[in-house]
Amino acid sequence: MTKPFDSTVRDFLAGRIWLRLHTPFPTETIDKHIESQHIQTIQGIKSQKKFANQVRHFCNRCENDTQSRFTTFDCAKCNGPCTYCRHCIKMGRISTCTELIVWNSEPPVYPLEHALTWGGILTSQQQKASNELIESNNKRLPHLISAVCGAGKTEILFEPIHKLLTQGKRVCLAAPRVDVILELEPRLRTAFPNTAIEALYGGSESTIESAQLILATTHQLYRFRHAFDAIFVDEADAFPYTAEETLRRAVRKAAKPQTPIHYVTATPSEKLLAEMNKTGRVSSINRRYHGHPLPVPRYDTLWNYAKHIRKGRLPAKLVKWIEERLQLQQPFLIFFHTIMLMEEAEPLFKQLDAKICAVHAVHPDRQERVQALRNKEIPGLLTTTILERGITIPNVQVAVVGSEQLTFNKCALVQIGGRVGRSAQFPTGDFVLFHHGITYAMDEAKNEIHRLNKGGVHV
Amino acid sequence: MNECLLCEQIIAFSPSWKGLLGLDRQMNICPNCSKKFKHADIKDEGTILDKITTLYTYNEAMREYLHQFKFLQDVQLAGVFAKELHEHLKGAGTIVPIPMHPEKKIQRTFAHMDELLKSANVSYSNILDKTDTVVMGEKSKEQRLAMKPLFALKPGKTLQSGTYILVDDIYTTGTTLCHAAIVLKEAGATRVEAVTLIRAER
Repeated sequence: MTKPFDSTVRDFLAGRIWLRLHTPFPTETIDKHIESQHIQTIQGIKSQKKFANQVRHFCNRCENDTQSRFTTFDCAKCNGPCTYCRHCIKMGRISTCTELIVWNSEPPVYPLEHALTWGGILTSQQQKASNELIESNNKRLPHLISAVCGAGKTEILFEPIHKLLTQGKRVCLAAPRVDVILELEPRLRTAFPNTAIEALYGGSESTIESAQLILATTHQLYRFRHAFDAIFVDEADAFPYTAEETLRRAVRKAAKPQTPIHYVTATPSEKLLAEMNKTGRVSSINRRYHGHPLPVPRYDTLWNYAKHIRKGRLPAKLVKWIEERLQLQQPFLIFFHTIMLMEEAEPLFKQLDAKICAVHAVHPDRQERVQALRNKEIPGLLTTTILERGITIPNVQVAVVGSEQLTFNKCALVQIGGRVGRSAQFPTGDFVLFHHGITYAMDEAKNEIHRLNKGGVHV
Repeated sequence: MNECLLCEQIIAFSPSWKGLLGLDRQMNICPNCSKKFKHADIKDEGTILDKITTLYTYNEAMREYLHQFKFLQDVQLAGVFAKELHEHLKGAGTIVPIPMHPEKKIQRTFAHMDELLKSANVSYSNILDKTDTVVMGEKSKEQRLAMKPLFALKPGKTLQSGTYILVDDIYTTGTTLCHAAIVLKEAGATRVEAVTLIRAER
């Protein structure tokens, strides 16, 4: 392996697992590197014969092994039955006759000089968690930071990330949701002005650089393999990370073997807590950075709200709540449990103020509308649980319509409440649960908030 | 239990006598996704093509579908319109899908029209050859009209008189279908009809 290689090819491919035919380089360049063994090829789909002529397929990129997510067809290219993976098809189809490539030679060397220009001061609780995280990194132990909404979780990560970067290590900050990545990107770019940072999410512009610090949605990690010396998973309990096994595998695969994967969340699941208590370490923070308690939800009845909305009337209590917000010029978020109900209600809200609008997961203007609320161009938003986490809007007031619905479990309600009173300037706010009957989840969320406010920690 | 090919949600299963006897065709997409496609049911008559039937109009859902099926090469999606195609084509005459150029077929790894017909469980005969690799979507109407013949009969094939039905995915100006119809008529077809999945408006 003494033959020369193109360093731009190395920088791009190091840590990635890529389609051979879809690189940003000419095919001849790639072929030459394969010949000189700088690049190793891997078959896209691994098919293994099991008993009774059954075949089990495995996708080498997304590590999907759910057999119903594979399709076999007559391929005109390889003239035979060819199997492809439907799970990761949006990233370019992987089939039996396509090859994946990985870098198989000297790894790139990353700079050791990095500036950390975040001017803020950590609270003593934040500092303690940050120190514990650095210690875990040195010991290569996974670490869970369980901190209430608005505790300043991102700031806790700055020092540990900086430490890793100055050791020449490659770091990834991943989150299951693109909104979280979009919010983190500018904050990290200002905190680490000299560091090569790349943000990857569905629809991000592709570059050929290979940044030392990568911000990515967990989906994007399908494209990485043994790349990072540490991965921080933010909002580790959010959908779809908890629901999809392949995403958890993707995170594991993206990390180098034997390197720690850290989790950051306000509402860790019992499973995650138990696992981290056993294999790693946990830091808990039960105070927000400004020291004020978490807003406690207020219950208010809104009987038969769905029926009222369907008939084209907004319940009087809801109208009153919105009129108060409009009068006080407070931005607000109203959470609904389904897109359908929200869209039925949208025109009714527009009668109160024409600028009120709705967002949901597949809404084309989602990011623009959230930005418009931040810029105070619109008074408030109707939303599904998609905005339950990761967004910070000063002085925002929150209402949940139909908090008795199953979508609003304990975690969701704690997260939704976490939107309120995040800034030091407006540390309080209204957090109202409009309901058609009180559920256990509502009481659990309320008790949890009370417990955290009294100084308790996650058990 | 099967999942929707488009949104991956599990399709609610409604038990029926037909289903129990295995007579009901399994749904490939969920009602929610199928609602997004807009039926067209356009029927035109002309001189070269005796009849043209179009099943759907081109909309956002259809654009996404074609993107995933043809560009991302998700062969499985051939099943989305299986039921409609089956109903429109079963027993109507000799089905002739518009062919792809062999090079393009290798590039895409499959012939999309053949796959659509296969999953619709309709027998078809490939009697045409594409002679050129031009892509219709890149040409203006004038350019399209001035083109050389796009298709030729496969060597050694002879046609029996009777009704032939051309099948294509998109009908825009009709140039492709006309070129194919002329070849078939010159070879002895008495009637040439066409069924297209989508009618695009320009």
